[in-house]
Amino acid sequence: MNIEVNQIEKYFQKNKVLNQISMTIDSGKIFCLLGASGSGKTTLLRIIMGAINAEKGEVIIDGMKVPNRTLLSRIGFMPQNDALYDELTAWDNLKFFAGLQKIEGTTFIENAEEVLQVVGLSNEKKKLVRNYSGGMKKRLSLAITLIHQPKLLLLDEPTVGVDPVLRKNIWNYLKKIREQGTTILVTTHVMDEVLECDHAALLRNGHIIANDTVENLLSATTDGRIEELFFLGENE
Amino acid sequence: MLCILKRILIQIKNDKRSLGLLLIAPLLVLTLLYFILGDSDYTPHIAVYSMDKAYVEQLEEKASITKLTKLPKENSYLEENKVDAIAWKDSKGIHITLERKNTKSAKALKVIQNTNEKLAPMKISPVIHYLYETNDENQLDSLSYVFLGVLSFFFVFLLSGMSFVRERFSQTLERMLMTPISRFEVIGGYTLGYGIISAVQSVLIILFTVYVLGIHVEGSVFLCILVMILMSFLAVSMGALFSIFSNNELQMVQFIPIVIIPQIFYSGLIPIDTIPLGLGNLKYIIPIYYTSTALDKVMIEGKGLMDITPFLTGLVIFIIVLFGINVLSLKKYRRL
Repeated sequence: MNIEVNQIEKYFQKNKVLNQISMTIDSGKIFCLLGASGSGKTTLLRIIMGAINAEKGEVIIDGMKVPNRTLLSRIGFMPQNDALYDELTAWDNLKFFAGLQKIEGTTFIENAEEVLQVVGLSNEKKKLVRNYSGGMKKRLSLAITLIHQPKLLLLDEPTVGVDPVLRKNIWNYLKKIREQGTTILVTTHVMDEVLECDHAALLRNGHIIANDTVENLLSATTDGRIEELFFLGENE
Repeated sequence: MLCILKRILIQIKNDKRSLGLLLIAPLLVLTLLYFILGDSDYTPHIAVYSMDKAYVEQLEEKASITKLTKLPKENSYLEENKVDAIAWKDSKGIHITLERKNTKSAKALKVIQNTNEKLAPMKISPVIHYLYETNDENQLDSLSYVFLGVLSFFFVFLLSGMSFVRERFSQTLERMLMTPISRFEVIGGYTLGYGIISAVQSVLIILFTVYVLGIHVEGSVFLCILVMILMSFLAVSMGALFSIFSNNELQMVQFIPIVIIPQIFYSGLIPIDTIPLGLGNLKYIIPIYYTSTALDKVMIEGKGLMDITPFLTGLVIFIIVLFGINVLSLKKYRRL
């Protein structure tokens, strides 16, 4: 699924938090929205999925203008918070969100086993989520996002609080589903993760400072250090 | 919608604290009220003057009796001698003097009235004098309809409101709305889920009140349950509505004085027709008014379905309107 973001402007009260944002995300790519906290990454993500309105501009996904309910069955959204029900087991959480996507019966069982394997929670699926650690909750949250095998993934800081080994596993899985044609839009402020992506846009104070392939962005830095991306255009 | 309903039921089953708040807490509070306001095994102290011997003997079976040789003139006699009532007789009939309306005087009055009915059922009723007039009735029997409605409303409102705030705060609501489910289905599932649990609470409260606490219901117990179930669905919707204006659990609690206390004012605890400046007319926009009035008519007056239909209709209209507002309000979280 490809995404076109055209001239998006968003205000909170009188503050302009997104200014003339335009970008294209090609199908089957991992696109990274990079920026410090408060730069507008989450707001842009929520506009793209149709949760909130933009004062100006439009978002088009696969030729359909957002918001569009039919698109939602093909989108997997992972919010910044864990967004889980603590009083349910991991399995019941998965079952609930799968049910909302009409994924039931053996399809659900197969999908659930697969995503639990990816996030390393197969042996913990019958535990109540309130007994999970922070990292386990984050992993379960990702599993829920993947349960209906979406064609577009919108991930808001997906690997915060996840240990390096598991983070590697998750990125490997994301790359695997990218090969199968899934488009992935991920927000992050972790510089290392940019290297896992095909394309990155750097957001600062509601403006896109840079938007290019990761390769090109790195070559624009003086010594190829990814940390420098954060400071791109700062003196301009 | 069924997904949400099932999820809420499993969630509540695994959340013993909420289950206790919803099912056990109202019963404990009602039991406490029963002992505070209801009949106890208190033996009233009655002073008698110029009463028939047979009458006094009958009274002695249920009360401790002091026989007076002259009728006390001072108002302080009752208080100073810890006497609950004076029963005396003259040419006009039996008179009963009580200090004020309270549980003790009510008990004394009941003993005297029972004796009257037993010994002289067809004779003229006794003349009752209160030294100090108050509006208290202090009988759980006569106020049970108020407490049933208010207590149930309070606990359901709190639980459903808090749950909805938590859904928003933890972003589970946002995640839910990022699926093809409609806003109607979300509110429908939510109302049904918590409504069913609250309905169980209503049935439990009524059965407990009637069969364990022994509160008298003049009319049909089934009708009381029906009123309470409708009210619990209403309380769920009210909770969901006010949760929209709360950003966290604390803010939800801050709504209690604004939402719950007016409900108490219009629940029948205070006579609505005595409220000045036409403020009594606000009762039409206070949901508990419909519940309390319907319960009053069934429990105290023994009225049937036809008599309470207008109040049930009022409750249904409230539920439908609140449901619509809640569906619309979800637009804040998803535009479609």
